[in-house]
Amino acid sequence: MSTNTVIDVEGLDVAYGDFHAVKDLSFHIERGELYALLGTNGAGKTSTLEVVEGHRQATSGTVRVLGSDPADRSVVRPRVGIMLQESGFSADLTVAESARLIGRLSGREDSVERVLGLVDLGHKADTRTGQLSGGERRRLDFATAVYGNPELLFLDEPTTGLDIASRDSLWATVQRLRDEGTTVVLTTHYLEEAQQRADRIGLMHRGTFRHQGTVAELTRSLPASIQFSLPRHAPAPPTSSVPQADASYAIETFELQRDLKQLLDWADTHGVELEGLSAAPTRLDDVFRAIGADSTAS
Amino acid sequence: MLPLAQAELVQLFRNRSVLVTSLLMPVAVAVFFISYRDVFTRIGSIGYVAAVLVFTIAAFNLYATTVTTLAARRQGLFLKRLRSTAASDATILTGLVLPVGAIALVQIALILGVFAAASGGGPVDAVLLVAATLAAFAMMLALGIATAGVTNSPEHAQVTALPLSIGVIAVASWVGITGTESMALLKRLLPGGAATELIVAAWDGGAALTGSLPLLAPTLAWVLVAVAVAAKMFRWEPRR
Repeated sequence: MSTNTVIDVEGLDVAYGDFHAVKDLSFHIERGELYALLGTNGAGKTSTLEVVEGHRQATSGTVRVLGSDPADRSVVRPRVGIMLQESGFSADLTVAESARLIGRLSGREDSVERVLGLVDLGHKADTRTGQLSGGERRRLDFATAVYGNPELLFLDEPTTGLDIASRDSLWATVQRLRDEGTTVVLTTHYLEEAQQRADRIGLMHRGTFRHQGTVAELTRSLPASIQFSLPRHAPAPPTSSVPQADASYAIETFELQRDLKQLLDWADTHGVELEGLSAAPTRLDDVFRAIGADSTAS
Repeated sequence: MLPLAQAELVQLFRNRSVLVTSLLMPVAVAVFFISYRDVFTRIGSIGYVAAVLVFTIAAFNLYATTVTTLAARRQGLFLKRLRSTAASDATILTGLVLPVGAIALVQIALILGVFAAASGGGPVDAVLLVAATLAAFAMMLALGIATAGVTNSPEHAQVTALPLSIGVIAVASWVGITGTESMALLKRLLPGGAATELIVAAWDGGAALTGSLPLLAPTLAWVLVAVAVAAKMFRWEPRR
């Protein structure tokens, strides 16, 4: 384990009776990285996250977080902020009281006014949390997680229930923390967020990694796609074009730029206007769908 | 722990239903027993009234409020949030029950003070009374945490907390009225039985301190049993 390794997981196994939710999983996350832990439903990412956060004991394997056992809360948690996927506040405490309480229990120092300002809840400081909307509660969740600028930040579905402005604000705060060296572990169902922001992605399926690497590495194995439609009486398109059910055509390619140029040249030569032309690189969605297709086939 | 205890205290005073249940109801019951102390003294003894007062506060304030509070904090996923901080499980539980424990102690001190003044005399052995009361409170607190382990919601607490609340007051009445000359072992082993015998002896007199202290053992044994049950049964998140 290098001195820059923040999370080190070796041979992790999590079992519930005879069912192994996580099987021999190994990965490490370096300081300053934003690592997205993604997975199909029931892939085992929640169990993995719970062990790494220190909420659950591993059945076997070793897990070190910031060099310590993550279950050792008094040592690890003052350096770690956790935004759980689902957790509550006491309805009879105000926003400021809740942020102050959780912040103080986290063992970090900060100003309540500052963290509430980060999530635009300063004007709600004296409002009881029971009167907050779902999105406001989620923002308060985030505020308590980033209280005291933790070295390591877990974000479990952080933007679920947030409007666009709140999402942008949250990601801007995360970026500022990353600029200061904070390591981020993200889980999300919004794949475009992971694709845009993650340095590396661990993609789980049935208890283990199906893929792990950068977005480019994950998407490299699948072709990009070009889609277009032709006007009536147009000549036959290039032979690599595959007719679709809706009368459009698709070209799947590992050489997007070359094949797109060939298609445009063909259209120019024949004086054909390509209707609804789109060219898209491979997305994480495609990688997910490929995993689903593999599972169905197997 | 203290920030959490402070926050719980704030919530206790902001939640009117909890306030009424945990503070006013036991006081109303205590006022009833103190008002009719002569009747109850004829049935048992003046020490019996003191024992019933102790277990009224222990059952309807300390025990029932502990069960309700922990079930509510679990149902609202607040326990889960607290476990994502640096606080240990013991710190979290202590912080959550500390205010209700402290309020119960203040309540019983005031109520027994009023009772002593109204009845024209305090306990013969104040040290023994304090020891027995603290042991009884520790037992009810531990039983409250254990009961919270099998309580799904604050509403469910009204069902799960009732048997033991009624039960300890019934045991206190049985022991306080009939004494321990018959079925002594059974009466002392039941929760609240030995503590009642100590409180009666402390108030009425007639028992040496050193001779009475072994009677703390059954009550403290119940604390251990409750802690063991809580360790096995207590859940930090709602059942899915």
